[in-house]
Amino acid sequence: MKKFLLPIIILLLSPTFLFAAGASTQLEGGFKVGPAIILITILCVFVMVGIFFRAKDTADFYAAGRGISRIGSGMAIASNWMSAASFLGMAAIMYGSGYHGLAFVVGWTGGYVLLLILMAGQIRKYGKYTAADFIGDRYYSQGLRATGAIIAILISISYCVGQFKGIGNMFEWIFGMKFLWAVILGGGVVLLYTLISGMLGVTKNMQIQYVIIIISFLIPLFILTFKFDYFWLLPQIGYGSVVSDIVSGVPLEQTTQMFNALGHEYAMVPAPEYAMPWDPATGQTFFQWMAIAFSLMVGTAGLPHVIQRFYVVPKARDARWSVVWGLFFICILYWSAPVYSAFGKILSANPEVGKLSKDAIVVYTAQLGNINKLIVGLLAAGAVSAAFSTVSGLLVAGASAFSHDLYVKVLYPEASPKKQLLMARVGTIIMAVIVTAIALLKLGLIAQLVAVAFSLAGCTIFPLFLLGIWWSGSNKQGAIAGLIAGGLVSIISITYFVAGVKGVDLPAASFITKWLGAWYFAWVGAPLAIITNIIVSKLTPETPIEIRKFLLQNVHS
Amino acid sequence: MESNHNDYHISFFKPTTAQAKWNRNLAMKLIIIWAVAVFGFHFLLRAIEKPTPEEAYVKYEMVWENILNEKASIEEMQSFAHTSLSVLGKVFIKSDHKIALQNALSWTAYQLADSSEKVLLSNEVTNFEMLKSEIESISDPEYIAAKKSLSELVSPILGLAKNDVRTKIVSFELASTEMEVFKAESKKLIPIIMSTYLIHNQSFLTDFKFLGFPFHYFYSAVFLLILFVFLCWLYCYRVDKKNLELDIDE
Repeated sequence: MKKFLLPIIILLLSPTFLFAAGASTQLEGGFKVGPAIILITILCVFVMVGIFFRAKDTADFYAAGRGISRIGSGMAIASNWMSAASFLGMAAIMYGSGYHGLAFVVGWTGGYVLLLILMAGQIRKYGKYTAADFIGDRYYSQGLRATGAIIAILISISYCVGQFKGIGNMFEWIFGMKFLWAVILGGGVVLLYTLISGMLGVTKNMQIQYVIIIISFLIPLFILTFKFDYFWLLPQIGYGSVVSDIVSGVPLEQTTQMFNALGHEYAMVPAPEYAMPWDPATGQTFFQWMAIAFSLMVGTAGLPHVIQRFYVVPKARDARWSVVWGLFFICILYWSAPVYSAFGKILSANPEVGKLSKDAIVVYTAQLGNINKLIVGLLAAGAVSAAFSTVSGLLVAGASAFSHDLYVKVLYPEASPKKQLLMARVGTIIMAVIVTAIALLKLGLIAQLVAVAFSLAGCTIFPLFLLGIWWSGSNKQGAIAGLIAGGLVSIISITYFVAGVKGVDLPAASFITKWLGAWYFAWVGAPLAIITNIIVSKLTPETPIEIRKFLLQNVHS
Repeated sequence: MESNHNDYHISFFKPTTAQAKWNRNLAMKLIIIWAVAVFGFHFLLRAIEKPTPEEAYVKYEMVWENILNEKASIEEMQSFAHTSLSVLGKVFIKSDHKIALQNALSWTAYQLADSSEKVLLSNEVTNFEMLKSEIESISDPEYIAAKKSLSELVSPILGLAKNDVRTKIVSFELASTEMEVFKAESKKLIPIIMSTYLIHNQSFLTDFKFLGFPFHYFYSAVFLLILFVFLCWLYCYRVDKKNLELDIDE
C-alpha cells in the first residue's frame, strides 16, 4: 500500500510548491498559504489512509490484528514516539537550557534499553491487549485492573496535553490564529481522524507519518549546514562546529556575507553556557540532569501506549527486534534535534529578532536560516504530523483503557463488540475534550509537560510491570501498596507544580519543587514503589500458584 | 524452559535454570554498561569539573573595585562596559539581571561621554527607543538609520572596535532612563550576575574537541544514542542465537 501512497502524497504536494512560491519570510503572525496547503494535504492523506485501513472490529481497533512486520512496527513505534515533544520540545529545551536539554535526549532514548531487556519480549508473551489487562491478570484483581486503566487514561491525558500544545503552536504559526482557536481546531482534527481510523489505520498511518516526519525534519538541516558553511553531508556531526562556535563566539569577520533572514550577521558573543554541563546561567543543576534522565528512562519503560505496541507484533522475537528498529528510527530524529537549537541560538542572537516561542524554535530556526518557505511549511506540517501520530496512539490507548479495561472487563462483561467500539469512541471524545481544556492553560514547555506523563508512568506502571514480570513473589497486596506509594509521590509533585504555576503558596513548596519536580519525581517514586511492593509482598500471602505457573511456563519459557 | 522446581517461582536475581541464569547475566551486563555509560560518565564529569571564568569575567574582576569606588580609568570603564555587553549578548538572561546590566552599561556610556556627547547620546537613545516602540517593520529606513547612528556614536565612546560583534547589539541595550545613576540595587546584583553568566563548569572533557564538538557534548548527544542502539541490537542478537542453540521457537 505504501508503494501507492507515497507517490500520491508527492502528487498532492506538488501544486502547493507552485502556489506558494515567492511569499516573503515572516516570523510571527499572518496566514501562511503554502504551509497551510501542505498541512491540509498531509492531513487529508492521513484521513484517507485511516478510512482505507479503518478498524472493522474491536481486535482491529485495539491491536491492529497483530499483522504488522518488525520494521513496520519499528516505524510505528518511532512515529508513535516522535511526538511534538521530540520534534519541537527537545530543540526548545536545549535552546533555552543548553546541555540540560540533553537529559531529555538521553532519557527518552536510554529508556528503550530497559524496555527491551526487561520487558518487550515478556510483555508479548504474556499476550494481553492493554497495560491494565496485564495488571489485572498478573495481580488477579479487578480493582487493580480498573486502577491500571485509570492510570493509563491519566498518563495518556498528561502526555496528550503537551502534544495539543505543540499542535496549537503550529496551527497558530501556520494559520495565524489565536492559540485558543489553534488548539481547539487542531484537537478537533486529530479527534476526527482517530475516531475514523482506530489503531489499524493508525498503525498504517504511523509508517507513512514516520517518513514524512523524518524527511521534513532532515531537509532543513542539510540546507542550514550547507548555507552556513559547515560539514553538511552529515549535519548530525557537522553541527559539532556550530556548538563549538557558540562556546567561543562567532566574530563578525569570520562569517562575512552570512546573514539570517532578517539581515543580521551570522555572529554572536561567546556563550559557553549553551554547551557546558549544568551551567549556573541556565538555572539547572547536576541533580536535575540525573533525575530527569532517570525518570524519563523508567517512564519510557512504563508508558501504556508504548507497551501496547508490543501486542501488535506476531511473536516475542518481533517485539524485541521492533524495539531495535524503533529506537534506531527514533535516534535519527534525536541526533538531529540539537542541530536546530544550535543554529537557532546563533541565528536569533541579535536582540532585534525578539523573544521567540521556544516551543516553535525549530520552525523559527528554519525561517531565520532563510530556508525556502515551502520547506519551512513542510517542517511545520511534519511537527503537526509528529503530534498527530502520537496523539492518535495515546487516544487509542486511553480509549482502550476506558472501553476494554473499565467498561467491558469491570463494569459490563456482556457488552457486545459493537457497544465496545462505541464506548471506545466515547472515551476518545471525552479524553480529547479534557486534554484541550488543560492544554489551553499553558502550564509549561511541551517537553516538560510530556515529562510529567513519564514520571507518572515511572512511579505507577513501571514498577508493576518490572516486578510483575521478574518476580513471582510480587502479589496483589504488594502491588496495591506500591501503587499507593508511587501514586502519592505523583500526586504531591503534580499538586505542587500546578499550585506553583497558578501562584498558590503551599507549605515547603521550594523543597518539594526542587527535589520532586514535576518532570522528574519518578527518581523517588519509582524506587519507592518497588521497595514498598517488595516489602508488602513479603509480608502477605504469596502469589497464587496458577499465576506463578503461567509466568514460568508462558512468559519465561 | 524446563523447571525442576515444583513451586514455580520466578526471580530475576535467583534464576532456577541454566537458561534463566544466562538471560539474567546478559541483562545484568548490558544494564551495567548502560548505567555506567549514562550516569557514571556524568558523575565523572561532575567530579572533575572546575569553575572556569570567561575572559570577560577576568577583565571584570580587575576593574570592578575601581568601578564601585568611582575611581576607574577610561580603559577600565570601557572594559566594564564590554563585559556587561558580553552578558547582555547571551540572549537568555533573567529580566532583573538584564535591567541591572542595562543600567550599568548606560551609566558607563554616559560617564565616558564628554559633555557635548552626553546630550547627543541621551537624545539618540531616546529617539531610538521611541522608534523601536512605534515601527511596524524592522526594515523601516528611519529606524535603521537611528540604530546605525546610535551604534556609531556609542561604539567609539565604549572603545568597541568596528568589527566587534557587540557593536551590533549595543544600540538595543542602552536605556535613556538608566544613564545618570548607577543604582545601588544594580551594584548589588552585578557580582552575582557576572559569576552566574561568566563562570562555567569545565574540565578536559568539555575542553577537548572531538569531530568539532566539545567532547562531553558529543558523548551525550551522539555517542550515547549509538550505544543504546548497539546494546539493543546486541541483546536481540544474543537472545536469537541462544534460542537457536536451544532450538526454542517462541
